[in-house]
Amino acid sequence: MKVEIIELGDRAAKFVLSGVAPAFVNSIRRAMLAEVPTLAIDYVNIYDNTSVLFDEQLALRLGLIPLITDLDSYVLPSECSCGGEGCSQCQVSLTLSAEGPKTVYSTELVSADPSVMPAEVVPLIKLSERHRISLEAIARLGTGHDHAKWQAGIACGYKNVPKITISDECDACGMCVDACPRGVLVIADDVVKVVDERACSLCRLCEGVCELNKIYDVIKVGTHPDSFIVTAETDGSIPIRELITRSAENISDRAEALDGYLSVIDMEMEMDHHAT
Amino acid sequence: MIPVRCFTCGKVISGAWEEYKKRTKLEDPAKVLDDLGISRYCCRRMMLTHVELVDESSPYY
Repeated sequence: MKVEIIELGDRAAKFVLSGVAPAFVNSIRRAMLAEVPTLAIDYVNIYDNTSVLFDEQLALRLGLIPLITDLDSYVLPSECSCGGEGCSQCQVSLTLSAEGPKTVYSTELVSADPSVMPAEVVPLIKLSERHRISLEAIARLGTGHDHAKWQAGIACGYKNVPKITISDECDACGMCVDACPRGVLVIADDVVKVVDERACSLCRLCEGVCELNKIYDVIKVGTHPDSFIVTAETDGSIPIRELITRSAENISDRAEALDGYLSVIDMEMEMDHHAT
Repeated sequence: MIPVRCFTCGKVISGAWEEYKKRTKLEDPAKVLDDLGISRYCCRRMMLTHVELVDESSPYY
């Protein structure tokens, strides 16, 4: 397996993964979307709400705020020593009270743990004269399996690395160059050249417009079957580097667990065999 | 109120709404969206198609 990083920012990454099976890349994608936990507001006590939004709408908006999460200091409620009742290990309380006229932002939430803060400035609600909200929100760890608000990865996807081949029969008519929506092809020195192969969206419009393609295979869009361009982004709750490494760890943990189950089944089958 | 996240991909887009609303009075929406880092068309439609109604209903609450 080889990794080549194309872009690596705080929140978004793009890299080429080569020498792997499609199933492996897909499991990375699925782990980024649904397996890596993050904190999100899950329970809200509303003491006062005279705003234009119903309590439920307000609670939904609160839930969708990304919270900066230190995954080493929190555990999932289902795995917590308190048994899921709620303690400082598995939940954080945030309070909010505001009175209009003003717009209330996510940054006005007061957290019991100063390291847990909203990652984005989200306008929660616009309050007019006499409007008031006062609430306590409980944030818990969760995974994307249960609700999209716990999804750390956003728009995670991959495609095969494109491979464009142009044969010697090409007469450089330029039809394919005009047809390409991504500007992958150019004419230089009376031959069609590929300038940015990875930008190709595999739409194969160039194959269709080429007149000579009806006789020979002049231009052909293919893929490298074991190389993938992976793009991933986070909602800001954890850095992208951590999201990718944690999703890889998650896959290896689950593979090990599966190995454990299988060896138990193997042992039981062997014991049955001896007994009969 | 503008939805907190994009319905399709889940990117938090509401933070960009106020600047978008102010700037599109004078500028081209496409340029403003590019500036604000809203690149995917799922997120762009969240901004382009949003109708702000809080101010309409707030006098009746």
